[in-house]
Amino acid sequence: MRKVDEQHIGDIVGADNVSITHETCMIYSKDVTSLPDIAYQIVSPKFDVVTQPVDVPSLQNLVGYAIDNNIPIVPRGNGTSGWGGSIPTRGGICIGLSGMSRVLYFNEFEQAVTVESGITWRNLLEFLERLGYTLPVYPSSATAATVGGFVASGGLGIGSTRHGDILKQVLGIEAVLPNGKVVRLGRVLLDPKTDDIKDEASKANKWLEMELEAAGLGTPEKETKLLTGTYGTLGIITKVTLKTIPNLQLVPFASSFDSMKDLVNAAARMVNDTQPYFLRFLADNYTSKLRAIAGNKLEHGKYVLMGALLDTIYNNEDNIAAIQTITEEEDGIRLDDKRAWFYWNERLYPLRIKRYGPSLVPAEMLAPLDKLPEILEKTKVELRNSNVAIEGTMSNDNSSSFMVWILDDERRSFSFTVGWQRSFRIAALAQRFGGLPYAVGLWNGRHAREYYGDRVFNNLKIMKKRLDPRNLMNPVKVFGGRVTAGRASKSLGFVAGFAIAFLMGLIGPELIGWTWLAQIMSSNLVQFLPVPVLIWVALLGGLLGFSIVYFMTINQALSVGIPVLRFLSKLMRR
Amino acid sequence: MTKMDFLERYAQENEPYVCASCGNCTLVCPVFRSLKWESYGPRGKLHIMKSIIEGDGEFGQDFANKIFLCTLCEHCTSVCTTGISLDRFWEVTRAEARQRGLLPRPAQFVLDSLESRGDIMWMGSADRLLWMEGIEEIVTDRILKHADVAYFLGCNVSLKSQLHDVARSMIKIMEYAGVDYTLLGEKEVCCGAPLGWAGKLEGINEMAERNLELIRSLGVKTVVFSCPSCIQTWSEYKRHLKEENDLELLTASQFISRLIREGRLKFEEQPMVTVTYHDPCISARVLKATEEPREVIEDIPGVYNVEMMPSRKSTRCCGAHGLLDVVDPVLSSRIAEMRLRDATVTPATRIITECPRCILAFDLAKFTTGYDITVQDITQIVAESLLPKKEEDKKSAEG
Ligand SMILES: Cc1cc2nc3c(=O)[nH]c(=O)nc-3n(C[C@H](O)[C@H](O)[C@H](O)COP(=O)(O)OP(=O)(O)OC[C@H]3O[C@@H](n4cnc5c(N)ncnc54)[C@H](O)[C@@H]3O)c2cc1C
Ligand code: SF4
Ligand code: SF4
Repeated sequence: MRKVDEQHIGDIVGADNVSITHETCMIYSKDVTSLPDIAYQIVSPKFDVVTQPVDVPSLQNLVGYAIDNNIPIVPRGNGTSGWGGSIPTRGGICIGLSGMSRVLYFNEFEQAVTVESGITWRNLLEFLERLGYTLPVYPSSATAATVGGFVASGGLGIGSTRHGDILKQVLGIEAVLPNGKVVRLGRVLLDPKTDDIKDEASKANKWLEMELEAAGLGTPEKETKLLTGTYGTLGIITKVTLKTIPNLQLVPFASSFDSMKDLVNAAARMVNDTQPYFLRFLADNYTSKLRAIAGNKLEHGKYVLMGALLDTIYNNEDNIAAIQTITEEEDGIRLDDKRAWFYWNERLYPLRIKRYGPSLVPAEMLAPLDKLPEILEKTKVELRNSNVAIEGTMSNDNSSSFMVWILDDERRSFSFTVGWQRSFRIAALAQRFGGLPYAVGLWNGRHAREYYGDRVFNNLKIMKKRLDPRNLMNPVKVFGGRVTAGRASKSLGFVAGFAIAFLMGLIGPELIGWTWLAQIMSSNLVQFLPVPVLIWVALLGGLLGFSIVYFMTINQALSVGIPVLRFLSKLMRR
Repeated sequence: MTKMDFLERYAQENEPYVCASCGNCTLVCPVFRSLKWESYGPRGKLHIMKSIIEGDGEFGQDFANKIFLCTLCEHCTSVCTTGISLDRFWEVTRAEARQRGLLPRPAQFVLDSLESRGDIMWMGSADRLLWMEGIEEIVTDRILKHADVAYFLGCNVSLKSQLHDVARSMIKIMEYAGVDYTLLGEKEVCCGAPLGWAGKLEGINEMAERNLELIRSLGVKTVVFSCPSCIQTWSEYKRHLKEENDLELLTASQFISRLIREGRLKFEEQPMVTVTYHDPCISARVLKATEEPREVIEDIPGVYNVEMMPSRKSTRCCGAHGLLDVVDPVLSSRIAEMRLRDATVTPATRIITECPRCILAFDLAKFTTGYDITVQDITQIVAESLLPKKEEDKKSAEG
């Protein structure tokens, strides 16, 4: 990798839109998850440069520059995700997209809106609300997350209980590919009068069509999933066309239950009978923490099911009655409107409880709805020595996402480091019950195949090879790859290799009765250099240990590291 | 490693770690919206603070300058997911910057001025009477008179000639309503707020007390202000004010609204004036005084308020609070221009507000952008819409 040239990059994106200061590079290298220091032994601690291009041509030139100079690039929205998708793995260029944030097209007849990818969901919602429209799905991080970031990650949000995941709401995507070409997948709706790069995009689309065909895939029109939910590993999303819906009356509701089993029964019936816009649960350990923050009028230690109906007034009346009946039949209590509105407004603040940490270790999974009570019970047992809070969202396909927030304090650095493995442990637990990691990003790359399914993952891999043969676009995410070994891990590799080789050389020959080998080990290799062969062998072992660490992939590192941390954690507890 | 024990002294040591990095604060921060880099936004500054605590950075001049690039507008605090009182955090960090001798020069100038002259502009007590020019015969007798109500002008309204009409309007309103009021005249000193903005937290109480001692000695029950920051300062640093002194602190619109409800103000029909009310940050987010100004505007016949987006507690800062106008006038003015644009997209021909710094900031932004829109304090529109006294008598006789 060549050193980044700030001035050159400034010429491309504008001098005001590039920074190499230590502070800026450090800040843009973070997402919402606080990582223990040990994590920086496998990923690089910061970007070399941060850029904020403001238009597609300068973004294309920037990508071209990076590829020509073998520099990794990482797209970033507003860094609100926690799966490591937007953090650096090998330094390089951070491409912040929040400067591209205009609404470009809205058509009420087509029920669609086209935006630049850096707009926040809140700004888009505000724009639509003024016109009497809203979005079928948006993330609970709407206040800060960008459209590009959520579309690149995929996932469930507010509205998913009725409308499914965000990817179903995407009609079209424009993106800059790792080779700098700008393509349009699906149907990107724009006003032809202001569409400056139409010709360039259709030319690039023809090229992409051939590439897709060669890989055995469909036309660009059909292959939006190449860029949705792939964490910016295959291209940088620049425009998105999304479905819109009329902004109908919204009726929040909330019910409380004594057990998760009752709550899940009620939730399943509510989804089937009333098709609510949104349904979220808060487990007992979450509501008790929320109560301490929000005041003592809330339900302490209860399981709360909250949601909202978005429908015509006529249907709402029926559905409100249904919510009441279902709640009662499942031994719950329907909460008053004031509390229903409170919980509805809280939907945008799931991290409120972080005050109890002050740090959080998150684990988020997808699980079949009926298995949820069992998984949560097992999770509680597994994490009985930790302070946890659990919440989740119901989807419309009898599944649910659930978030386990493990509260901790990163200032107690040893126990925080050792405790980092708990997040991975919960993932493994949920998988035993048919669950899946909720997202991939960097840290769940090991589960990418199960997450996408065999066929889709193979196709994505083929396209990654074709489009980004040198693995420069958001490297190591989703598809894995070599870690950036830190000084401590390389030293550890060397010392471990040295020690193992030394011990084996020292006692191995004796053990198997090869005295001749023992003699060689203690003799000097070269007359004038009084260093026994054993030391040379140990040095060789050290070099081998060093190389193993140096060439290790992230998935291998995690497969080794997590059990080690787990062992240490058990030791600590004793 | 830089010693950061000041955080513990002010019970702030957990806050950088409590931050969830959700970004809510950054996206509403006027400084971030203008400069576009996270290192100038609240989330970024907390990350920098964390790195200093962990020995990966220095609390030096560069960081101190960044901490002063902030309007202390409370917007970040009001949206913070984890309930961090960010404004308090910025203030104590400013205090630490001062302790370390890292105050930006313009902030140091303000401090020196406050200490030697009792105001923020290096003027002096005699200049606090200049606004009375032309109405001396009405107000001279009011100075330091025993009364129920005291009108506290604050440095900007007293000393900046463009704002003198705000004070005169308030006098007109009080005279009209027959309020028994008093003025501190040349004995008025700064309320103390800018001391906190310049990092001298320990001096605030003393400064506030200099005014309060006088006010108490005059038997005052209600103090009316033209500047919301004065109220914020006195209520935050003198929490016992109400209990101990039975002293009520009101914004201009809260006071005017009360006079209207008491039937002491009558208005003349205005010729279809469309205004837009700009909520000053402190009025809206700290004092929660968002409805009274709207009620007052609504009460003036022929005056219509159209809402700016965003407004009320999501209002955007004018850029001139927290000393930003002196520390970085260019940035301050850019922020004012952004807010002015929110007003110019409405059909309003006038911006009404109730903070002297907002008025000054918008006046400057009007000049730099070339937008033509009138900017007034709420007292000004009220005073100029009052039904002339004779007509009022006639009307009540008819009634
Ligand atoms: C309070 C809170 C609530 C949340 N609620 C939800 C939720 O309801 N559902 C959910 O799924 N997640 C949720 N998240 C996680 C996160 O907010 C979402 O994934 C979010 O959409 C990320 O947006 P971002 O702009 O911050 O992207 P980033 O975090 O910056 O990036 C996310 C990923 O997308 C890539 N990326 C970003 N922009 C682009 C682009 N333009 N082109 C290509 N790739 C890009 C990045 O490289 C990275 O891999 C929540 C997070 C928080 C803090
Ligand atoms: S107080 Fe205002 S200017 Fe200062 S950081 Fe918060 S939002 Fe930004
Ligand atoms: S809003 Fe609060 S929790 Fe969120 S990033 Fe800002 S300071 Fe941190």
